[in-house]
Amino acid sequence: MERREVSFRIQRYNPQVDRAPFYDNFRIAVEKGITILRALNYIKEHLEPRLTFRAFCQAGICGSCAIRINGVSRLACTTQVWDVLTGGGDDPILIEPLDNLEVIRDLVVDIDPIMEKLKRNQSWVKPAIPEEELGRKEHIVSDEQFETINAASDCILCGSCYSECSMMQVNRDYISPPVLLKAFRMNNDTRDTLGCQRLREVTTDNGLWDCAHCYKCMEHCTKKIPIMDGIHHLREEAFARGMTHTEGARHAQAFFDDIRDIGRLKEVTLPLRTKGVLGSLGMVPLAIKMGLKGRKPPLLVKRIPDIERVRDIYDRLEADRGGEVVGAIHELPLRSAPRSGGCL
Amino acid sequence: MEHRYDIVIVGAGGGGMFAALEAVRTNPRVSVAVISKVYPTRSHTSAAQGGVNAALGNKDRDDTVELHVFDTVKGSDYLADQDAVDYLCGQAPSVVRELENLGAPFSRFADGTIAQRPFGGTVKDRCCYCADKTGHTLLHTLFEQCLRRGVTFFNEYFLLSLEHADGDCQGVITLNMATSAIETFVAPVVILATGGHAKMYWNRSSNAAGNTGDGQAAALRAGIPLKDMEFIQFHPTGLRKSGLLVTEGARGEGGYLLNRHGERFMARYAPQKMELGPRDLVARSMETEIIEGNGFESDAGSYIELDLRHLGAEAIKKKLPQIRELSMHFEGVDPIEEPIPVRPTAHYSMGGIDATMARTAIRGVYAVGECACVSVHGANRLGGNSLLDILVFGKRAGQEAALEAPERKAHGITPPAVRRAADEIRSYANHERYERYGIIREEMGKAMGDNVGIYRVEERLRTGVDEIHALRERFRRIRLFDTGTVYNTNLIQILELKNMLDLALCVAVTALERQESRGSHYREDFPRRDDGAWHRHSLCTMGSDGEVSLGHKAVTMGKYSLETRSY
Repeated sequence: MERREVSFRIQRYNPQVDRAPFYDNFRIAVEKGITILRALNYIKEHLEPRLTFRAFCQAGICGSCAIRINGVSRLACTTQVWDVLTGGGDDPILIEPLDNLEVIRDLVVDIDPIMEKLKRNQSWVKPAIPEEELGRKEHIVSDEQFETINAASDCILCGSCYSECSMMQVNRDYISPPVLLKAFRMNNDTRDTLGCQRLREVTTDNGLWDCAHCYKCMEHCTKKIPIMDGIHHLREEAFARGMTHTEGARHAQAFFDDIRDIGRLKEVTLPLRTKGVLGSLGMVPLAIKMGLKGRKPPLLVKRIPDIERVRDIYDRLEADRGGEVVGAIHELPLRSAPRSGGCL
Repeated sequence: MEHRYDIVIVGAGGGGMFAALEAVRTNPRVSVAVISKVYPTRSHTSAAQGGVNAALGNKDRDDTVELHVFDTVKGSDYLADQDAVDYLCGQAPSVVRELENLGAPFSRFADGTIAQRPFGGTVKDRCCYCADKTGHTLLHTLFEQCLRRGVTFFNEYFLLSLEHADGDCQGVITLNMATSAIETFVAPVVILATGGHAKMYWNRSSNAAGNTGDGQAAALRAGIPLKDMEFIQFHPTGLRKSGLLVTEGARGEGGYLLNRHGERFMARYAPQKMELGPRDLVARSMETEIIEGNGFESDAGSYIELDLRHLGAEAIKKKLPQIRELSMHFEGVDPIEEPIPVRPTAHYSMGGIDATMARTAIRGVYAVGECACVSVHGANRLGGNSLLDILVFGKRAGQEAALEAPERKAHGITPPAVRRAADEIRSYANHERYERYGIIREEMGKAMGDNVGIYRVEERLRTGVDEIHALRERFRRIRLFDTGTVYNTNLIQILELKNMLDLALCVAVTALERQESRGSHYREDFPRRDDGAWHRHSLCTMGSDGEVSLGHKAVTMGKYSLETRSY
């Protein structure tokens, strides 16, 4: 059995005694095949009983042990030490708590904000069946309809995407990827009746339209769920349902129109089209500040030479509407159930 | 700090959350709190992979509740209480449909009905599933519905004790894990739904780190007997290195068990059902093959191969995606290319808090799911019946609790009881103590695995009892090294170990006592079932001196009388 000494550089913080987080180093002998969680357990049992982390199922299904390993959010129980060694195995493995959540102690973070957001965005199915008739008969659901929500229902709420999300870095009130994924899962469940209501909640401020398309949620999902696909589908659903009057939707529409018409963005009128006249007035101080720093958007934007080629892309995408998201990197891309009709 | 509720539910797995939902639905005026040492979606219900049994008849049109009852009673080796089994199987179709109605994503047949697959020990294909993540999806569905109903959760609260006054429930004493403060929950009705205790086998167990039987231990100390504790199910297919589980669904879908001669050896043990014999029989057969030298050898111990290759890549990816992932993560084996190395692992506790249709000996206290022994699983549980158990009895307890709570009154929890709990916790940090948690826990797992495992014999069982006694003695000198009050996991480890040691003693003592072989309990020195002497439940109680005394209780029979069990 292959064996070697490995160093772990672990972020520690006990608010009762420490003024700020610091790093502790532990060097232990590890066998090949050992997971990060086994290594943490070893350190806790043999070297530092005060080392604090969560762990439960040890099989990648409960989501308790998500932490950052060498800067990347992952499950400690399914990550092998050998797979995260760098520098020929001589560099210490960096172990830190999830990002974008308050640290309670060492590697334990407060996940209540995720629970609160799930609640606020009605992350549940409300069936049409009246209460007293529950359990009498099954809904008929086709295999295809099941497959639509199958991958999204793999989510274990581990918080890795929440920790990786770029938007969460700048706005803790942002709805967050797991909650958007749940909204996708519920809104594409043929048994649910809350679609419009949920979508309206999801598209309010700090919601669906704030996603910055960085794809980090999807890249780091511990269950390999193509979360970003779900977010795209929700946006399409918002348009299909006529929810085009929110700032986010208008902003997206303005981008869509400009690129189609001239192949580039007309930045000067963008605030007007997104926020309207009154809303844009609020932007004036920012515009002046930007202007003083030399950030002036071009007043006249010319159409690009090969605009036909851009329109060709639009046409092809239009023809493929409702299909898989182009460029999905996962084996099971999320498909969306065709949605039509507006919301009252 | 004192909280007051009409109903307090301890445990937020499938049983606890279904109880909570049903309680608020039955009587919206009762106040309900759910206390859990982990966030609800972390609960071990999530690890149930294969499915939940219900005679829906979507696959085999001629399946009936009666056949489900028969399979369950036979599977239990006739130790199950048949009135409880009747209720379990009778309610199965409606609870499964109810979960479906509330959004649980079940896999589907071509006609759009809930898909059903074959499972071990049954005459019909009745196991409803969602790929190989059934428990996970049921748990999340229940959590979502609890959010919808505004159920109050106290997450990361640890149960310290169950309190009663002359047999009337008063509530529970808990530890707030984030602050280490002792908080009491005064309630006339308490539902214990704390899960199983098979983690006492530690490295030889498929269980989550927290399946330490906290509710069982609290009930035992409060004077409620534990029933049939000797019956621990060893699941046939744990991964060789980690003990993690490969669902019975893998065999349900057609997987083979092979010894090192490439032989499907189950043909010699269960010629009819082959790999889909009941779990006790398959686990024992595998162990026999290994003992007789027919297993594969490796650094990580001897093993048997579970071969899925002939199912094809597509079926494996679609129906067993998690199993494929686990095999790759933990064994470095892709089941599409290679067989999975497996061996039996401690998995499920059939025994638990003695309960009659979820009610216990303390008025106002209910117990449901794996922490309870109702008893529907008897000496051996069928795959697909554990999710069913938590749903059916969770729901029933919730209903009854909602009707009972307004009729009862809790006076409160006495200051001396609270003081005792606080003193105990403080005492662990005493400087004169020196025993280490990790060492005692490791020795406990070994003592149980070596002496109270799949094959049992008097001499080893006596050794097991002695070793657990000795470990409990050493536990009195265990040292809490982390003396902080913020999220003290070292303290939780010690409290869990105390619970496991008390329950391990009950398992070892009752296993020694039962001089017959029945279901999961196999005595090499008494290889036959002995209905004359032992067709009865065993009971354990614990005196204030910490010693266990034994009793027994009759089995409730019904339509099916005692028969030889063969497959």
